[in-house]
Amino acid sequence: MAGKHLLMTFEVTPTSHTLAEYRARGGYQALEKAITTMTSQQVTAEVTASGIQGRGGANFSAGRKWSVVNLKDEQVHYLCANADEGEPGTFKDRWILENAPHLLLESMLIAAYALQVRHAFIYIRGEFDLPYRRISGALEEAYGAGYFGKPLFGTDFACDLIVYRGAGSYVCGEASGLLTSLEGKRGFPRNRPPRLTVRGLYQRPTVVNNVETLSNLAGIIRDGAAAFKGAGTAKSPGTRLVSVSGHINRPGVYEVEPGRPFRELIYDTCGGIPGGRKLKAVIPGGISTKVVTGEEVERIRLDNEDLAGVGSGMGSGGMVVIAEGTCMVRLLQVLLRFYHHESCGQCTPCREGMGWMHRIIDRIVDGHGVPEDLERLKQISAWNDGNTICGMGDAAGYATTGILAKFGDEFDYYIANKRSRNGGNLECPAST
Amino acid sequence: MPRIYIDGRPYEADARQTVMEVAAANGIAIPAFCWHPKLSVSGSCRLCAVQVEGRSWVEISCNMPVTEGLRVLTDSDVVRAYRKSILQLTTLNHPVDCGICDKAGECLLQDYHYEHNGSASISRDPKVHATKFHPLSPRIVLDNERCVLCSRCVRFTHEVSKSKSLGMVQRGDTTLIRASEDGAFGTDAYSDNVVDICPVGALLSRDFLYKSRVWYLQPTRSVCPGCERGCAVNLWHRKPEWKLNSLDPAKNRAIERITPLDNPAVNGPWICNKGRDMARILERPRALQALVAGAPATLEAAIESARDLLAAARRPLALVSSWASDEELAAFSASLGARVRVLVKRDRAPEAGEVIEDGLLIRPDKNPNTAGARALFPDLWDGTSALPDADLVLAWGEGFDIARAPQGARTLVLAAWADPAHARADVLIPISLQTERHGHYTNFQGVKSAFEPCFARPDPVADAETLFARLAAAREAAA
Amino acid sequence: MKHLLAEFDSLRARFPEGFESSLVLPCLRRIQEDRGYVADEDIAGLAEYLRVPRIQIEEVLSFYGQFRRAPVGRCHIEACRNVSCSLRGAERLIDHLSRKLGIRPGETTPDGRFSLATVECMASCGTAPMIVVNGAYHENMTEQKLDELLASGS
Repeated sequence: MAGKHLLMTFEVTPTSHTLAEYRARGGYQALEKAITTMTSQQVTAEVTASGIQGRGGANFSAGRKWSVVNLKDEQVHYLCANADEGEPGTFKDRWILENAPHLLLESMLIAAYALQVRHAFIYIRGEFDLPYRRISGALEEAYGAGYFGKPLFGTDFACDLIVYRGAGSYVCGEASGLLTSLEGKRGFPRNRPPRLTVRGLYQRPTVVNNVETLSNLAGIIRDGAAAFKGAGTAKSPGTRLVSVSGHINRPGVYEVEPGRPFRELIYDTCGGIPGGRKLKAVIPGGISTKVVTGEEVERIRLDNEDLAGVGSGMGSGGMVVIAEGTCMVRLLQVLLRFYHHESCGQCTPCREGMGWMHRIIDRIVDGHGVPEDLERLKQISAWNDGNTICGMGDAAGYATTGILAKFGDEFDYYIANKRSRNGGNLECPAST
Repeated sequence: MPRIYIDGRPYEADARQTVMEVAAANGIAIPAFCWHPKLSVSGSCRLCAVQVEGRSWVEISCNMPVTEGLRVLTDSDVVRAYRKSILQLTTLNHPVDCGICDKAGECLLQDYHYEHNGSASISRDPKVHATKFHPLSPRIVLDNERCVLCSRCVRFTHEVSKSKSLGMVQRGDTTLIRASEDGAFGTDAYSDNVVDICPVGALLSRDFLYKSRVWYLQPTRSVCPGCERGCAVNLWHRKPEWKLNSLDPAKNRAIERITPLDNPAVNGPWICNKGRDMARILERPRALQALVAGAPATLEAAIESARDLLAAARRPLALVSSWASDEELAAFSASLGARVRVLVKRDRAPEAGEVIEDGLLIRPDKNPNTAGARALFPDLWDGTSALPDADLVLAWGEGFDIARAPQGARTLVLAAWADPAHARADVLIPISLQTERHGHYTNFQGVKSAFEPCFARPDPVADAETLFARLAAAREAAA
Repeated sequence: MKHLLAEFDSLRARFPEGFESSLVLPCLRRIQEDRGYVADEDIAGLAEYLRVPRIQIEEVLSFYGQFRRAPVGRCHIEACRNVSCSLRGAERLIDHLSRKLGIRPGETTPDGRFSLATVECMASCGTAPMIVVNGAYHENMTEQKLDELLASGS
């Protein structure tokens, strides 16, 4: 694949995830460099200078998030890696957990050092099987090697880490829902203020970062912020792991350098659409980002700027590729059923709105839609936008309005004719 | 002290307050379901949102910290349109069965629809159904369809009553309020407060279920006589213009329900379940017939006999009631206090299974005015010791078995409720209840609270306050 | 649940002071692994052991998709039907499963061998469609692979 690589820099083998091989590749040297030659503040400064943005979907500057934590306040505070990866279309954190678990662990130690955290957590979704076994195995190795639980490199900095398993809830991927779940309760997201970096886990300052975001830290310390910034673009520095799936010949996790043509990823790297079918659309950043048409994919670069230009964003990097002949009405039905199922139920617009939207789309798919249904879907989306406790209500709205804006004619057809223009099809025939 | 502006007007705030709190403190009503002044912030109903001047969107006010110079609008076009949308969503799956719902007339969902121009549902899809009449506890019935999931009840049991017995199960729009399966909510001595704080007709008192439309009733302020806390309460009874045609007069002098009256100095907005059940004690069969030597007599005759007994007594002893009002006690003191040896009596003892004392409201002395009585009469009868020697025992109120009067002593009983033992008293004078007169109780902390009458005193029953002067009169005349 | 207490004690020791409430999820998971589901007496026992309100455990059990309070089939199959899996034939696969087993999602076969459920995205989008069998991922599923899996009794 063209472009710089910062994370997927080694060949995956049955043993490449082990401590021995990770060390052979230079692993844990960045940690030593950070602890023996840099202060906590210097580490944070380097992270901020790199400009790295959150890779869980929100794209927020990690350095800015860290800077809120008041290191002088004598309070216990925590670091938590968000390994709940539940955004449909996204499976790149899984790649890191399975294949580069020590990269995450080393990076978390670097972050813990910067933030003076004594207890760190990885909140991993409960369903994960191999990723959980790999990260637990790696943690055991790391404890055995003295990286955790003991003072490091002759300083008095020591950190303990617990891998905490979720139990099946998408909203536990939202940082505040995650922490409430980590407290042993229902994963109810919280209102802000206060920010989690002020009051988080058990009301103590907590930094929650995505697995991929954290995993970049070892590289940033080892090679410097400038090297990180040198990849990608001004508004999307570094590299991004994208998960490509759907109607695509070579699905999988790829490391891309933002700024390269979007079509290069689809057609060159991933081999294009099965059967040579035409590209209809791509949902670029997990289903909670707005869909991009095939025509738009042809002309834009894969980065935050160009994606924003077509009304979308990089989100979690979960690329769902959709070929010509797919029914977008049925596709939206799958998405709305998902949001309805996952709504935690706390706040009125999302709790009632998700169910409402799901019932409307079901009715449309069953052939009993009416023209006002589309306005209603947009209205419910608007009523959720910015008015909910967490971003899920907004997300369902983006997914809905994005598809309606670019494929509204399919919905008009379905309602008028009581059937799909594409036979209700979701599969790409050549891929079976 | 930050100054904020609500709808253009300035208000001084405390730095730790939210916009909602400042508004509430200044009489500005911002509609909300989940916010409650005594509970933690939930921020989930989303109704309380206001518009910060200069922004095009709204933000919830219950979680908006005040900052110097903050300017918010509570009634702009943006806010009004927003409120309508939240009401639309809140009512999406609501059964709107006001016609059979007890809460009608005091329901926030109704009130807000009227005030904030809620419209009919625009949904073309069937409502989600849920459990009607779920027995949350033996006292409380829950209608999940009406529930707007404001979580006030859940927060109440976790933060106020501390039984931690309510929660929310499942998720999304099939979320249900439920009590823990061990029945802990049924033993929560404050459980019924959730009926008050429920903004809709989801949580209802079984005791009051279908008894009456609330607009047929009026509240009269009173003081709960259940213990020495003296919580302020409202006694609800039928409005005279809505009196029933029943041939049974008791139907129109019934306490239909008892709710808390917010008294920050005593109980805040809460009362315990026993307080809700006080009608059971207050409405026991009354002593309505004066008796002399066990035989029916006119009230006048009984008072005459009582006067004679007092005049003749050499060593009169009075056991004064801890259910007497401060005014009645003062009248007793003025008329008879110098002449009679007085002991204060605790009329009622805790019943089996009753909570004796807790860290919230419940106090061990199950009588409303022991403090008021002891302020005038320091000596307390412990209820078990033998009485000092006396030739006349004036037993005022319940809790004294006249068989325990000293050998040979005459007995003069003043009682509100019927008791077969009254037939053995020398004189029995029926007296009024707190619901039939104005007065004050003094609680264990010295706080005096007023109660008002809601029913007329029955004809043959004496008013204790004016009685004592009459009982003492002959004595003075003789002296 | 008593036989798990020693394990719970070690788990508790790994957490910082004051994190008892956090133990609810891992303990429930362990109880469910052991018994196959979480029983009523487990709820009472765990509430007492952790000194958390009983209602918290009841809420957690009903909120999270992975917890169950009743047994499932000896071979519990969860099939993802989210977007990428649907784009690659999940609906057809689920129909096939349903027909083969004679049950609909949410049901268990009368002999207690198989139970079927649908789940949302399991982060296997690149290897779709997928199913989970007793917690283990089976990816790149085809109808043929499914038949083989069912035949092997898994």
